[in-house]
Amino acid sequence: MNDVVNVGGKLALICAVAAIALGLVNAVTAPAIDKVKEQQLSAALDAVRGTAEAGEERLVEGEPIVDGYYALVQDGTSAGYILRLTGTGYAGDMEILAAYRQDGEIKAVALMNNSETPGLGKEAEKPAYMEKYIGTGAGHPVPMNKQQLTQEEADAISGASITFMGIAQALKAGSDYVKEQLGK
Amino acid sequence: MGNFTKGILKENPIFIIMLGLCPTLAVSTQVVNAIGMGVGVIFVLLGSNIFVSLLKNFIPEKVRIPSYIVIIASFVTMVDLFMQGYAPSLSKNLGVFVQLIVVNCIILGRAEAFAKKSNVKDAVLDALGMGVGFTLGLLLISLIREVLGSGTITLFAIGNFDGVIRLPGLSESPVRVMALAPGALLVIGYLKALFNWTEARRSKEATA
Repeated sequence: MNDVVNVGGKLALICAVAAIALGLVNAVTAPAIDKVKEQQLSAALDAVRGTAEAGEERLVEGEPIVDGYYALVQDGTSAGYILRLTGTGYAGDMEILAAYRQDGEIKAVALMNNSETPGLGKEAEKPAYMEKYIGTGAGHPVPMNKQQLTQEEADAISGASITFMGIAQALKAGSDYVKEQLGK
Repeated sequence: MGNFTKGILKENPIFIIMLGLCPTLAVSTQVVNAIGMGVGVIFVLLGSNIFVSLLKNFIPEKVRIPSYIVIIASFVTMVDLFMQGYAPSLSKNLGVFVQLIVVNCIILGRAEAFAKKSNVKDAVLDALGMGVGFTLGLLLISLIREVLGSGTITLFAIGNFDGVIRLPGLSESPVRVMALAPGALLVIGYLKALFNWTEARRSKEATA
């Protein structure tokens, strides 16, 4: 009995000291991390909004993929929406920002936080990667598999098909949301 | 001094002890990732070796592994938080592999095999040697993989320099497989063979 108390107590003590140390480090780094996240979001917003102005974010409840949206305004008239989407990638969730026209056509996409494999799925962070989706969603369907891509585009995503399909699914859901809920 | 130098060649964690191969395979796609991962591992290894060595008489034998893991995980979380706050692009590139330093066998391995029997000074030297050896191995693998696989060498961006050195010829038509997982296994396999070959030659010379 004494042994259990002794061993358990020492382990608990180690854990407690570790927890205090981590709490201190967290207190120091939390403001810096929040700032980085804010910068990332505003940089991504700037990248996808083009020349239009984005309004305040409205949160969306009860949708699996669409988390929120910003209304876009250009020269006083409505110019579509930016949606904040959560896609499922190869290694967990991917945060995606996508700008849509009012008919659901994709104007611009940016991949934000993700845990995709460096050198493979991470390539989706490059702006050129998203070109295959732009202009789809209304007249043309969003490409959901490799057959719908050109040979060159299909080669470029080789080794990272799951990332590609995850983004495509999220963008498709976003397009449908714009068409069914917002575009009316 | 031997405690420091042994980690670099004679007991190199990647090529001789063959520990910590998972992150090695995963993050060796770019040189900058190798540097970041190396620095992270050196810091965690140093912290855990110091504390395991300091607490060697306090930690009960029965729960030594959980205690080591708590110590290691604390240092890893610190590295992760600092990277997220002050080196966001590196943190983005390394992704989940920063957290996975916790289960990098080289760190628990050194705690169990060395630090718990040694004084603090030896534990520090051992951590530095093993950490530097790990980093050098990672650098070598990532250099080969990035040059062949993407035709680039990615370092830190400073001022106007975006941090990427593009090699003419190779960057237009790289050997893609080297950037993918099989490339990592191939490179590590050949380097391991090279190490074994030089080792065998040296021991032959010693006996001759």
